Amino acid sequence: MGIYMKELLEIKNLSVSFNTPKGEIQAVRDVSLSLHEGEVLAIVGESGCGKSVLCKSIMKLLHDNAYIKSGSILVDGTDITHYGRKDMERLRGRVFSMVFQDPMTSLNPTIPIGEQIAEAVRVHNPKMKKVDVYKRVISMMNLVGIPDAEERYKLYPYSFSGGMRQRSVMAIALASEPKILLADEPTTSLDVTIQAQILDLLKALQKKLLTATILVSHDLGVVARVADRVAVMYAGKIVELGTVEDIFYEPRHPYTWGLMRSLPSIAKEGQELYTIPGMPPTMINPPKGDAFACRNEYALAIDYEEMPPMFRISDTHYAATWLLDERAPKIAPPIGSIR
Amino acid sequence: MRSKNIILYYTKKLMAFVLSVLVLSLVVFYVSRLAPGDPLYSYYGDRVEKMSDSEREWAESQLGLNKPIHIQYIHWFENAIRGNFGISYKYKIDVVKVIGGRLPNTLILGGIGFVLIFILALGLGILCTWYEDKWPDRLLCKIGTVTSCIPEFWLSIALIFLFSVNLKLLPSSGAYSIGSGDNVIDRISHLTLPLTVVVVSHLWYYAYMIRNKLLEEVRAEYVLLAKSKGLSKKNILFKHCLRNIVPSYLSIMAISVPHILGGTYIVETVFSYPGIGTLSYESARYQDYNLLMALCILSGTLVILCNIVVQIVNERIDPRMKKDESVQVSEVIEVG
Repeated sequence: MGIYMKELLEIKNLSVSFNTPKGEIQAVRDVSLSLHEGEVLAIVGESGCGKSVLCKSIMKLLHDNAYIKSGSILVDGTDITHYGRKDMERLRGRVFSMVFQDPMTSLNPTIPIGEQIAEAVRVHNPKMKKVDVYKRVISMMNLVGIPDAEERYKLYPYSFSGGMRQRSVMAIALASEPKILLADEPTTSLDVTIQAQILDLLKALQKKLLTATILVSHDLGVVARVADRVAVMYAGKIVELGTVEDIFYEPRHPYTWGLMRSLPSIAKEGQELYTIPGMPPTMINPPKGDAFACRNEYALAIDYEEMPPMFRISDTHYAATWLLDERAPKIAPPIGSIR
Repeated sequence: MRSKNIILYYTKKLMAFVLSVLVLSLVVFYVSRLAPGDPLYSYYGDRVEKMSDSEREWAESQLGLNKPIHIQYIHWFENAIRGNFGISYKYKIDVVKVIGGRLPNTLILGGIGFVLIFILALGLGILCTWYEDKWPDRLLCKIGTVTSCIPEFWLSIALIFLFSVNLKLLPSSGAYSIGSGDNVIDRISHLTLPLTVVVVSHLWYYAYMIRNKLLEEVRAEYVLLAKSKGLSKKNILFKHCLRNIVPSYLSIMAISVPHILGGTYIVETVFSYPGIGTLSYESARYQDYNLLMALCILSGTLVILCNIVVQIVNERIDPRMKKDESVQVSEVIEVG
């Protein structure tokens, strides 16, 4: 990752909020990220930490009560923060596309699979001949590993299994050769055996098509297998950002430590599996200071007062914790470099 | 193999239809005869009051009313199956002829009303969904709620008062002016007010249902995928969402047939419109058994037929609703 590649997507200080009767929910707070050509960036974190909202806000797929509070989104150097519906429709599918969590509900139940893929092909190539569209659909189905594509073209989603549906969704997402693929927990709702297959497929397709991918997951195992870089999210903020090696071998944020220690493969034999105490804060009135402080056994007094800035650890590795401040006490991390 | 299945499929539907009509006729037959009232009135009028007991008995046996109800039913059924529904006690002619004279009027009123409601409800529902929570949607919702709360008879009278009495633009009653039954413009002017009442009083109910069904679809997960592949809002609404509500829309509209028909009955009464509605009211009011039976069978057949047609159409549109086992076999096996 040392080689500097072209930035496809750049998110600068993005904050996304929802208007609800109970008040403003700050789902994404001051997030800055970049995605380079051909890389896989994973976003990990607990449920409700804002990973999905971040992805959907990039494609502007959120419901009307969500709004971008501040910050900007740049795609290929163009600011799309204030793009309207028509402009977004032009970009979606061709520039970025998305794979969703539940393939059982993300396909339209009353339209044959092939037809749904064909729509995705036609939408950015309206003048394409029928035969060519059909050929393209069949080749897409073959690409994502749907056997007997000709026969399955006419089948409806209900006669497909979960894994097959997710393959179809991927065919739809990749049909117009997007530069960026956003995969929002693409394996979460699948059987464990199928998860591995879909993940391998995602990896293989990514290598083949060189689509820059943002993979949202709460499964560190998945992330370790597929990602080049990892962003750890907590309470709407990115708390640690680095390459896979940085995050897995040298995590610096107490929250990342907690996540790692909760992995069964890292826990020691005979020991009870570690869990991070407490619950994530509600995002209606996020706490002052570091949102993780009250669950953090290494919390410092300043954590309750002031939000930690992003500390630079290396060219690729950043973490937002006061522990990295030079005045902070030196703490031996419970995992990581001590091994 | 396939055609055999199709024959079996339609045979089943037909059997269900026949059975339903049979049960309906039995129930109506019994209930109408068990209900209080004197059927002789509708045949003999006021003369009944002066009849002696033996004369009454004779009159009842003449109309076949002295036998037990199940015998009467069998007798009625034997005739009905040959197409003979008996004579109307009141009009003293074949009930089919009585109904035949009134049916076109109701079909015109109810039919045009139904089609208008069908189209306008869909249009309004789509409009509201497109502008969800923006001013057109809010305005329509408010107007709709108000109009659907106005009772039909009140609206009828209000319209008569405004357009017939005050403005003298439209006639207040009947289906045509005497002597100009063939004049189309005359018919239309007579139809305008009743039709307005039928449409206005039912329209919003269905438009609102469509709006809600569509909004449910618009929030469905598959819409996100459709959006993310770049489909336009128009495309998603018309090609994806609308398609998915068609089955439930058709079911709603099929159920609405008796509803709208019932509405025209009230409207017919207020406007003295010579249709099936006024006739049904009379026949039930005056125990005109044969006429009542024929009218119930007619309305019942219409309702049951609507339901069956909708069922067939639904199964055509939404493949999941078909209980066809051959499709289940192709349940796909996961290939690695």
